[in-house]
Amino acid sequence: MDFRFTDDQLLLATSVREYLAGTHGTQVLRRLDEQGNRDPAIWQGLVDMGLTGVLVPEALGGLGMGLVEAALIAVECGRACLAEPLVDTAFVAAPWLVREGRTDAIAGIVDGSRKIVPAHAINPWLADGEGARLQSVDPLRNLTTAPHDASEDPYLLDLGALMSAAQLVGIADAMLEQATDYAKLRSQFGQPIGAFQAIKHQLASCMVAIEFARPVVWRAAAALQAGGAHAATHVSHAKLAATDAAMLTAETAIQVHGAMGYTYEVDLHFWMKRAWALSGAWGSRAFHVRRLDEAVIGGTIPIGPEHTFA
Amino acid sequence: MDLAYSPKQQAFRAEVRAWLEAHVPKEPLVTLECREGYDQHVAWERTLAGGNWGMVTWPEQFGGRGLDLIEWLIFEEEYFRAGAPNRANQNGIFLLGPTIMEFGTDEQKARFLPPMARGEVIWAQAWSEPGAGSDMAAIQSKAVRDGDHYVISGQKTWSSRAAFADWGFGIFRTDPESKRHKGLTFILFDLNSPGITRRPIRQLHGDTGFAELFFDEVRVPVANCLAGEGQGWNVAMATAGFERGLMLRSPGRFQATAKRLVELYRQHADTASPAAREAVVQAWGAAQAYAYNTYGVAAKIMAGGSIGAEASLNKIFWSELDRAMHRTAMQLLGAAAELKRFADGSINQWLEGYVFSLSGPIYAGSNEVQRNITAERLLGLPRVGAG
Repeated sequence: MDFRFTDDQLLLATSVREYLAGTHGTQVLRRLDEQGNRDPAIWQGLVDMGLTGVLVPEALGGLGMGLVEAALIAVECGRACLAEPLVDTAFVAAPWLVREGRTDAIAGIVDGSRKIVPAHAINPWLADGEGARLQSVDPLRNLTTAPHDASEDPYLLDLGALMSAAQLVGIADAMLEQATDYAKLRSQFGQPIGAFQAIKHQLASCMVAIEFARPVVWRAAAALQAGGAHAATHVSHAKLAATDAAMLTAETAIQVHGAMGYTYEVDLHFWMKRAWALSGAWGSRAFHVRRLDEAVIGGTIPIGPEHTFA
Repeated sequence: MDLAYSPKQQAFRAEVRAWLEAHVPKEPLVTLECREGYDQHVAWERTLAGGNWGMVTWPEQFGGRGLDLIEWLIFEEEYFRAGAPNRANQNGIFLLGPTIMEFGTDEQKARFLPPMARGEVIWAQAWSEPGAGSDMAAIQSKAVRDGDHYVISGQKTWSSRAAFADWGFGIFRTDPESKRHKGLTFILFDLNSPGITRRPIRQLHGDTGFAELFFDEVRVPVANCLAGEGQGWNVAMATAGFERGLMLRSPGRFQATAKRLVELYRQHADTASPAAREAVVQAWGAAQAYAYNTYGVAAKIMAGGSIGAEASLNKIFWSELDRAMHRTAMQLLGAAAELKRFADGSINQWLEGYVFSLSGPIYAGSNEVQRNITAERLLGLPRVGAG
């Protein structure tokens, strides 16, 4: 029993975080927003880091890592508000295709020549697809109408929900940091607004929500990796906790920014819109509450103090 | 990340479970906060000690089993699974004990820890004063050096367990010229010393769990001072960290409440609102989240890390979770919520629990103070007003 990451896992997360901080800052988000949303150079950088092969078995040319590592990276993608479909391609489609034995597309995923964003019946759209365009509130999400042959595979849904939860945690982290930085700089009534308890307490409440959503995401990643009977319950728990933390943080962050938060000029809106989008993607809040309800009140998962890791 | 218990850990769980099943009182004890209930709970502490379960993480020489924090969590999970009584000595074993372990001399460890583990000496805390609540650095009670004694004068309040306990600990101003956090000293004292008057405070439920303490030139040996004169604030902060951080409220407590809440929901499903139903589901989720977080903190400490201001996050989370769960239970009970005993004569433990849960966001440092600590030390927002 050791609910911690290994040094290698932490190093991986740190290296992705630093790479994205250095190459994918807000000026990049603004350039993409103005110039077509996608940049082959950004994608190639992610491919060169090996990130497209994280979940692909070594025998198929990948790194053979697991969902815990992928979730760690997905958090960093959320933190950077990454627009390229890395999470959908490498952490949702790739493990699903491998599980299905459909390995013909895997080499293309690893070498970066194929971006595959799987269609699932739970979503009324397809991200980065080729059908008729739909417009997302998130200016960096390219949506199209859902195809008729969307999958109903619950494993695919769980992968999408887990990775959305992980991104939401990173998005919430980023929004809390932006609001905190702003509260330190913005001065009113002769002091930084962050010195007022009315501001402090709201930001502290966001931190509580985020820090107690985070381990639920790790728990879900470990459960889905292990494939236990209750993995879907843990995934729904993670999606719910991460959604609630991110939505609380989004609403708090705009409030702390005041009128500036309502402008296009302040960067916050990119993260806030991604949070809105991912909160409903891969199963709405109501969907995941219902799955949790069926387990907890329905009695399919053992509950009580002795069942922390049931 | 390894989320499986080792065979040794599984065997330990089985051992704890078997002992508790054989020893936990079949009927719930009377509340700790009256003479009769206090005596029952002290007797339970001694039963626990008889099985060598007083404080499993302590070294064997001090009455423990020398176990690690994961084994402690397993013990606690089983403890709450079994519905075992509240710990009369929680101030001692969870707060003062670890503090003595960190700051005490060898002589102090040998003198104070074994009787604590055996349940022979029950401890009360004495932090707050009438003018020093959330602002603990405003403490005025004095301890004046006189040879090899301190002479203590002043008043403490909200002193948990002090109505009936044997010994107390707190911080006192030993330097009369000092202000705020300086010049304070952490002192242990016999509550039966001449010059101490205890005035039990009737709490809102009518019982008397905590007390005011009046000190009228109480002589306490200098040997009862922990970590040296003037070090009181640092020692107290470490103690408060143990309180908020890991030990005072282990996850099993809340997982047990969440499980009972699910069972209560099933009895009231026909009349419950959809919102109450979702609150029940969320209660399970939040109790689990608290458990995962605690396992993470335990693993971090076992690897040589420590818990600092993060303790404030824990305190906010568990206290507000506890209140939310009991609020939901009151809603599910509807008109029966106000009954102290149900028609069948059984005690309405949800009502008692709800009343107690209202103290959680206040004691051990109010949640407003915890949010300030979170904002200032974890988020780095500017400090204002604290000297």
